[in-house]
Amino acid sequence: MKMNKVDTEKVYQLLWEKITSLELAPGEILDIAALANEMGFSQTSIREALSMLVHDRLVDAPPRGLYVASLKFTDLEKISTIRLNLETLAAQQAVRNASKDDLVILSTLCEEVAGDTRELFELDQRFHQAIARATHNSYLADILDHFYGLSKRLWFLALPYLDFLPSAVKSHINLVSAIQEENEPLAMEIMQNHIEEFYQKIQEIIKEKNLISE
Amino acid sequence: MNKKTPPETLVLGIDTGGTYTDGVLLEYNSHQIIAAHKSLTTKRDFSIGIENVIKEIELKDPSAIQMVSISTTLATNAIAEGKGKRVGLFLIGYDPELINSFDMGKRFATSHYYYIEGGHDLHGQEKAPLDLPNLLEITKANKNNVDAIAVSSYFSPRNPEHEIRAQNAITSICDLPIVLGHQLSTSLGSIERATTAALNASLLAVLQDFIIAVRRAMENRGINAPLMVVRGDGTLMNAEFAAQSPVETIHSGPAASAIGGRFLSGEDQALVLDVGGTTTDLALIKDGKVTISETGASVAGYQTAVKAANLFSIGLGGDSHITLGRGNELCIGPERVVPLSYLSHLHENVGERLKALSKRGWPAPYPRELEYWFLQREVSDLHAFSAREQQVIEILKSGPKPATEVLKSLGLLDPSQIDLNTLWREEITGKSGFTPTDILHVEGKHSPWNEKASQSALTIFSHYLNWGEDEFRRIFWELVAEKISKAVMYFLTEKEIPDKNEPIHALANWFLENTLLPQHDQLETQIKLKIPLIGIGAPARELLERTASIFNTELILPDNYQVANAAGAVAGSVMVTEEILIYPHLSSGDVDVIGYFLQARDERSETEELEDALNEAKKLAGDNALSAALRSGADNPQVDIEVIQDGMDSYRIKARAVGKPRLEG
Repeated sequence: MKMNKVDTEKVYQLLWEKITSLELAPGEILDIAALANEMGFSQTSIREALSMLVHDRLVDAPPRGLYVASLKFTDLEKISTIRLNLETLAAQQAVRNASKDDLVILSTLCEEVAGDTRELFELDQRFHQAIARATHNSYLADILDHFYGLSKRLWFLALPYLDFLPSAVKSHINLVSAIQEENEPLAMEIMQNHIEEFYQKIQEIIKEKNLISE
Repeated sequence: MNKKTPPETLVLGIDTGGTYTDGVLLEYNSHQIIAAHKSLTTKRDFSIGIENVIKEIELKDPSAIQMVSISTTLATNAIAEGKGKRVGLFLIGYDPELINSFDMGKRFATSHYYYIEGGHDLHGQEKAPLDLPNLLEITKANKNNVDAIAVSSYFSPRNPEHEIRAQNAITSICDLPIVLGHQLSTSLGSIERATTAALNASLLAVLQDFIIAVRRAMENRGINAPLMVVRGDGTLMNAEFAAQSPVETIHSGPAASAIGGRFLSGEDQALVLDVGGTTTDLALIKDGKVTISETGASVAGYQTAVKAANLFSIGLGGDSHITLGRGNELCIGPERVVPLSYLSHLHENVGERLKALSKRGWPAPYPRELEYWFLQREVSDLHAFSAREQQVIEILKSGPKPATEVLKSLGLLDPSQIDLNTLWREEITGKSGFTPTDILHVEGKHSPWNEKASQSALTIFSHYLNWGEDEFRRIFWELVAEKISKAVMYFLTEKEIPDKNEPIHALANWFLENTLLPQHDQLETQIKLKIPLIGIGAPARELLERTASIFNTELILPDNYQVANAAGAVAGSVMVTEEILIYPHLSSGDVDVIGYFLQARDERSETEELEDALNEAKKLAGDNALSAALRSGADNPQVDIEVIQDGMDSYRIKARAVGKPRLEG
């Protein structure tokens, strides 16, 4: 069991949130001393957290200085290809391995009502994490977690122009019943469409509004 | 430095007491204290006082420090003052009727507790299926009203399955931190386990913020060393472990003092009395170790399952307020105030006013007029306070004022007519008064501040009572000795001290009173304590001398006894315990034993033969304890394993890995 230092773990969570929600913009310089002062942590903990974020590919570490990782249109394509395949695999594995508890958890998440688009996105993320857990394959769950972080920035970029997510809730409900009925092909199909729709929409908005460079 | 001298191993110990935060820089191998520093404890935020000590203590080379260790009353204080976070507590398989009929709901340390169907029995068999949908419904409905969640399932140390399943489900729908009962205690008392889990959950964020602040202060001073925290039994755990189990820090302050007393004196059998500013704490050293309380630690009226030193505390210290009771009898404490000698050291005019007052013949001034109020720190946001509180702040802006004068200008007669609790708690205003420290100033035994102010106060007090000043001091010291001696008697015998006026205890009373203060012309009674007293804390010599002679024993004051509490913060060993429970797997109908379960924290396995189970458990517990101790920073930890029979065919295998903290010299 590896235990991170309390302060490092806390800074990591805070910075992860700031970067994935674009509060810290792509390309922004990360000054360790300034962050330590601003956030009230030791510089050591900031340094350690940033090196974890480098590993997550959310921070760039060129030979000099540290920057919030840039966002390119090609990244969007690469990320969506992998996530599409992994999520479909997760749906298949969930059908095979989900426990009764997992089904209760998934149904509960489907019933949750979100107040706004941002809450809806968080709920969507929780749902996908619950599916990942229901695979009972921690390696798969870990890789998916890594890709949520990368996808989240793209989603936040498109957030001001989005209004389509409520339809996603419907596909969640259908997915849970497919898992319940142990219908593997159907579960995979629903998941695939759900993810595809998501990236297509985001891709359109980003292109149309010219939100990032090629 | 001469190259041939052995390398120094420097460690920094910090103890936050009720009044002072002490720091000592210590050479670990020689027990030599190199530097010490005292700073006021800041109850509103303990880390401020600690930051001050880290900033101010004399250090030649901060980078040479190998370890920083802290004992803190943070947890105890947060619980007592309700500063912990809001906790939702799930009780799985608990019987609501039973709990209601004994009115035990109050004991859970949170009002947000919920009953869920489920739980196991004594044999680790599922008593009822876990009602997960209900648990999730309740979590959903309440996740925004609480800051953390605690789960305790019936007989979870025997089988934690329901607690673990609850955790998985809750973390899937919200991000609240969760504490599971079986992770904190393997004892089967279900109420204490639930209370411990709830208190632990309420303190998670409190301790986390504390560690973050301390690490930052260390870095600002250039100290790069492991950070340890003292447990309630005086042993050490690393900061990361402490952040997960903050309840284990309950009573760590007094436990560190006791260990420090032993460390500096080398005595293996002794009664340690730590005289602080607010309290005097008693602990017993037996065979070189602090004795541990059989029942778990209790704090602010809550009974927990946490192992802690056996302690007793009375509200009598160097800065206890000396006042008059209803019958004009002399009272000391339990309230702690700033000594008048210190207030007039900071504000000369207070001393002058006291002098003038002491010369007033008629009407004789009341001892009440010795209580001063003063502004302790700047207020940034006046609007956060009530109109009355703002008035008080305004009045005190020009300097300390007698409480009677403040009340008069508000048109009030008695302090009970206004509620200024926020001002006191936030340490915006402070209270000063006549204290034992002032009497020490008058007697010239400890007089760093304004002894003239103390003298004036003594004159006023004795004059009002029509006592001579010498007579006042004699009665005062008798009262101090009586209070401390009675505390010693109670602590060692666990017998209630009888009420003086109860005729049924006439003889017992007479024995006690005559022993404390010989009064009879013919009969002399004596009591003998077979072990020495070790005195700790700045006023220990003066406040304990008489008690030692009453008990016909020696008072040992080790070198640097004034800061032994802080030395105790580094003197403890790093300890990790691991417990495994073994109990029979019964056939249906509870008739035959068909195997044995091994329950090691979250892991559970089964063997056919008891012998195999015991061997496996011993090996597993030993390995787990050893690796956890190494991770916690123990040097060459030694493991000892104990097998305790725990009911029919049931066993508790306890492995304890103990080592000195790992330091590079």
